[in-house]
Amino acid sequence: MKSLEYRPGVLKNILLQAYHEKEKLQVGDQWHLNVMGTVRRLGPLQVKPDLLMQFGQFVWRLTPATCLLIIMSAAVLLKFDFTPDYNVLLSLFIADAEEISLVQLLPL
Amino acid sequence: MYHQFCIDVPKRVAYSVYMQNDTHKPGDADIVRQVVGGDVNAFELLVKRHQALVMRIVQKHLPYSEVEETAQDVFIRAYRSLPAFRGSSDFSHWLSAIAVRTCYDYWRKAYRTREIPLSTLTDRHQQWLEKVMSAQSEAVTAPEGYRSEAGEVLDWALARLSAEDRMVIELFYFEGLSVKEAAKLLGWSVANVKVRSFRARKKLEKTLKSLISKKDRSSAHEIS
Repeated sequence: MKSLEYRPGVLKNILLQAYHEKEKLQVGDQWHLNVMGTVRRLGPLQVKPDLLMQFGQFVWRLTPATCLLIIMSAAVLLKFDFTPDYNVLLSLFIADAEEISLVQLLPL
Repeated sequence: MYHQFCIDVPKRVAYSVYMQNDTHKPGDADIVRQVVGGDVNAFELLVKRHQALVMRIVQKHLPYSEVEETAQDVFIRAYRSLPAFRGSSDFSHWLSAIAVRTCYDYWRKAYRTREIPLSTLTDRHQQWLEKVMSAQSEAVTAPEGYRSEAGEVLDWALARLSAEDRMVIELFYFEGLSVKEAAKLLGWSVANVKVRSFRARKKLEKTLKSLISKKDRSSAHEIS
């Protein structure tokens, strides 16, 4: 008997047809009624608040107040010259500022 | 092919586009908004519009006995996921992805619980195979009277693949989708689909070759 030769093209075509034949099978039409039954049992959807969206809404509401604050701060800074009190800052970190300066000057 | 299923909207015409062009009927996105807003009954419109699409997808991927139940599952999942539908893609495309993934979940569960019917092939299938392999031309249709054998051999061969390989074979080789389209439907990476499609094809070829060589050996045995 002649041995069978594997002919992928032939087999593939046949199997492809068999695959697509499956969609021609008749199915009942009651199943979509079951879908609505289940959906009605589940009830209305619980829509969880989207945090990002809420944050966005919140931020936009504050925008006018923020802008006003920035403008007012800029006006205040322009009117009153901003000079940081270095001595106050220095005293926070160094107890005796003079001693440290002498130490730095003398090679001890 | 999947162009019937409205997967790639720019190239193929979506079923829902016809509905949207009808000025008397609301578009899918409008209905989704209504449902999310609390009008549960509006979902029925979406079910009626897209039931044929879902049914065609599920019928191709699953055994006949599981089709109706799985189609229901698809719509229930879609209903639950509606708040996540942003309208950036076509609704039918979004629903198709849910249908494909539901089919994949079915096979994963079936393989895990070993509920795959590993049927053996009978003489009837061997005869069919002989008829097919001895055909002169590659452009053949299933031999008359052997249509069910072709489907059974297909099921037999696919049952020997994993759930992942099966889905890739069906989407890529049988449906003719691109790697990108298949990856999008399954929710996998393109690389994953590419590698799987190559390996799955090799496995399927090996399975079918073994079927033919088994037939060959049994014929030789009969002669001797």
